[in-house]
Amino acid sequence: MNAQPLRETLRRRVGRIAEPQFLFPLIAVVLLAAMWGATLGLIRIKRAEAAHDAAILSRELLGTYEAQVVRVLREIDQTLNLVKFWHERTGMHGTLSELEDRGLLPPDLVFSVGIADRNGTIVESTRPLGTVSVAGQDYFRKQRDGGSLFVGQLPRGATGDGRLPFTRRLNAANGDFDGVVIVTVDAAFFVSGYDASKLGEHGVLGILGTDGIFRVRRSGESMFSGDAIDYSSLLPTPDEVEAEPPVSLGSWDGVWRWSSAREIYGFPLAILVGLAREEQLAAVQRDSIGYICRAAAGSVGIVLLTALLGRMSWQLAQSRVRESESKLEHARRVEYLAYHDGLTGLPNRSMFSKLLSQRISEARRYNRQLAVAFLDLDRFKQINDTLGHEAGDQLLQEVGTRLQGCVRDSDTVARLGGDEFVVLLPELQDGKYAATVAQKILAVIGKAFTLIGHEFRVTASIGISVYPQDGQDEQTLTKNADIAMYQAKAEGKNNFQFYSEKLNANSLERLTLESSLRHALERDEFRLHYQAKRDIRSGRIAGMEALLRWEHPDLGTVTPMQFIPVAEETGLIVPIGKWVLKTACLQSVAWQNEGLPPLSIAVNMTARQFSDEYLLQDLASILEATGMKPQLLELELAESLLIHDVENTLRILTGLKSLGIRIAVDDFGTGYSSLATLQRFPLDTVKIDRSFIGDLVGPSENAGLADAIIAMGKSLSLTVVAQGVETKEQADFLQAHACDELQGFYFNRPLPAYQFAKLMRAQTPEITYRGTRAGLQNPQP
Amino acid sequence: MKTSALSALLLGVLAAAGIRAEEIVVIVNPAAGPISKEQIADLYLGRSGGLTPVDQPVGSAIYVEFYKKATGRDIAQVKALWSRILFTGRGLPPKQLPDSAAVKHAVAANPNVVGYIEKSAVDASVKVALPLD
Repeated sequence: MNAQPLRETLRRRVGRIAEPQFLFPLIAVVLLAAMWGATLGLIRIKRAEAAHDAAILSRELLGTYEAQVVRVLREIDQTLNLVKFWHERTGMHGTLSELEDRGLLPPDLVFSVGIADRNGTIVESTRPLGTVSVAGQDYFRKQRDGGSLFVGQLPRGATGDGRLPFTRRLNAANGDFDGVVIVTVDAAFFVSGYDASKLGEHGVLGILGTDGIFRVRRSGESMFSGDAIDYSSLLPTPDEVEAEPPVSLGSWDGVWRWSSAREIYGFPLAILVGLAREEQLAAVQRDSIGYICRAAAGSVGIVLLTALLGRMSWQLAQSRVRESESKLEHARRVEYLAYHDGLTGLPNRSMFSKLLSQRISEARRYNRQLAVAFLDLDRFKQINDTLGHEAGDQLLQEVGTRLQGCVRDSDTVARLGGDEFVVLLPELQDGKYAATVAQKILAVIGKAFTLIGHEFRVTASIGISVYPQDGQDEQTLTKNADIAMYQAKAEGKNNFQFYSEKLNANSLERLTLESSLRHALERDEFRLHYQAKRDIRSGRIAGMEALLRWEHPDLGTVTPMQFIPVAEETGLIVPIGKWVLKTACLQSVAWQNEGLPPLSIAVNMTARQFSDEYLLQDLASILEATGMKPQLLELELAESLLIHDVENTLRILTGLKSLGIRIAVDDFGTGYSSLATLQRFPLDTVKIDRSFIGDLVGPSENAGLADAIIAMGKSLSLTVVAQGVETKEQADFLQAHACDELQGFYFNRPLPAYQFAKLMRAQTPEITYRGTRAGLQNPQP
Repeated sequence: MKTSALSALLLGVLAAAGIRAEEIVVIVNPAAGPISKEQIADLYLGRSGGLTPVDQPVGSAIYVEFYKKATGRDIAQVKALWSRILFTGRGLPPKQLPDSAAVKHAVAANPNVVGYIEKSAVDASVKVALPLD
């Protein structure tokens, strides 16, 4: 039981140590300790080895020296004994010269032999001894008293040329003292074998007397004699003889040496060999410094390396932390983006879907209602196309913000994409709340937006579905809200609609229509029909209007009133419109080439087409491509369209006029424009709206209005055309008021090209309108 | 004092002049072969054997002069060198003879002997191997 927490603590401790700020210094310390330990250990071993080697060497050198010294001493003693023997045998004179002649005396270079009589007077010598009497010398006196070999001394100080006297007593025949025989040897001779390569400059080679006084000692090149030392302490005890000599201090010069000493057998002398500690260890010292320098360099290296590694490891850890943080951040962001719309920050489609399912479950559990409101911005595409995507984005952002301001915290606003938004109202107390919110939204959306420095207004269409009556699951509720929204659009936009069963069919139809329309152009399902415009006086065909028809294989003939709004909404009107213009121009040119008289041809133009940025370009290229004379082409524009943005209209109309195209105002009288405004525009024709024509033969005030409008048109020096003439009475009235042209069912319905051509060909100069309706409808061939 | 110094100086000059006037020659037996300066140096420094060199008395003028000219060493160096050889038992220094006459005698008697004398002392009994300058 106790092991458990202990193990835990241990593991934690180890974990802590493994962190870079502890681990690396620890590693460094361990490495340094190891390296220094090894280095110092090595130094210690080397020193011990050197010491051992020096001790052994001093022992060896002692052996060699002993042999050499013994040999020399024996030779000296031999000479002494020889001279003594010869002298005692043959008498006093001539001993030395005789021996010398026979080559029995040692070399003159170093040795000299002499004989002194019982009084101390030198009687013979191989070389001048520099003195006549040696009576005062202790070596003389000693021999007089004793009888063994005696070795004299030199005075204390530098040896120089000093000579050591070796003496033996000469005996008379009766054994009395008869003088001494002296062999003097250059003191330096005894240490001439000093080998500096082995002994160094501070080693020692020396001969001592058993009295403890140095006869001669040499260190390097300097030789000294006469120093007294502690003889007994110098020589080893019996058990020390075989052991390694320890380091001792030379009392005569203060140098620490490994010294060995030995008494010479048979002579009152001892030899000494020593190796200086500092010298012997000098090499090791140098090496040690080398090792220490290397260790120091190594230490620096280790410290730097571990510092570097530590730093790198720390940086790595830092960057890992940063990386994981940024990954986390990234993951959060990704998740956010997965569920939120980038532009507005509102929940996106996927999140909304999840949320809706969730709320439906909650509503089911707590037996509540909830509402889903789909919202579409009307004519958003136009705004986006005319003002640019930046403005469009700004609009969407602002819309998102405003929508959020219309709802409670528990409600959700989401953007499904494009200009589609959705509002989820999960805790519905009553159905009225949804309507209230929808109303609020419409109002808020209706307020002006400031985009790219200008003010614009938009409207929205809202479709609402309610749980549980309009659907019990996510798909059904969303589908039905969508259908309700389309209905709102169909109802004229800028309103909201609740879903109802009967909407389903309409909406389906609408959806089918839209998708069919997209493919109509490429499937060549469009046709142009032409309606004749007749001159009011001559009744001749003065021109024509090209009207678009759509022949769908499944839906049949689709009227413009059905599909034009959809085309306008979706922007398909632009390519369709281009097709219309092109086809009309081609037809006109074809008829002219057939020899038919050149007639003007009018084509309707919608707001969307009018505001297209490529309008003038497209027209110019169509005219050029088809070879159509621009004067024969007339574009019909609704009055309401023209006055929507007067300056813009003026600019475009001027452009159109520069191409040579004629302009007609359509639905004249419905747009509430003033004469002043109209006068600004370069117009060629005014077409009076059919609503006025319809009233012509009714109450007089309406007739008066129509009158006024005709007059207006004429005052502008424009050709005035009346639309929708259907009855004879209307025609009569118009003629009476000098309207220039008539157009309407009464005279001719719109016909396909080949039938219209027939109509034109059949036209005779004398045809009048005064025929029967039937007759006019079926003109004579 | 001054006079003794002066006379010492005079003697020295004379001695130097005398030495200069007195050339040393290395002599060999008339039957012996040629010998080079290097060989002479090696002989008298104990570096090689073969022939038997003889010296004049140690410390004499001619001794000092010879060693200086033949080996380039002074007396202390020569002594130290021969002491060492003698002490370590590796050889014997050249035998010392009392004077030039003894040297000539020894050289004439033995074809292996080599010696040095004053140039003026040369006679028919010996051959001049090498003059030293």
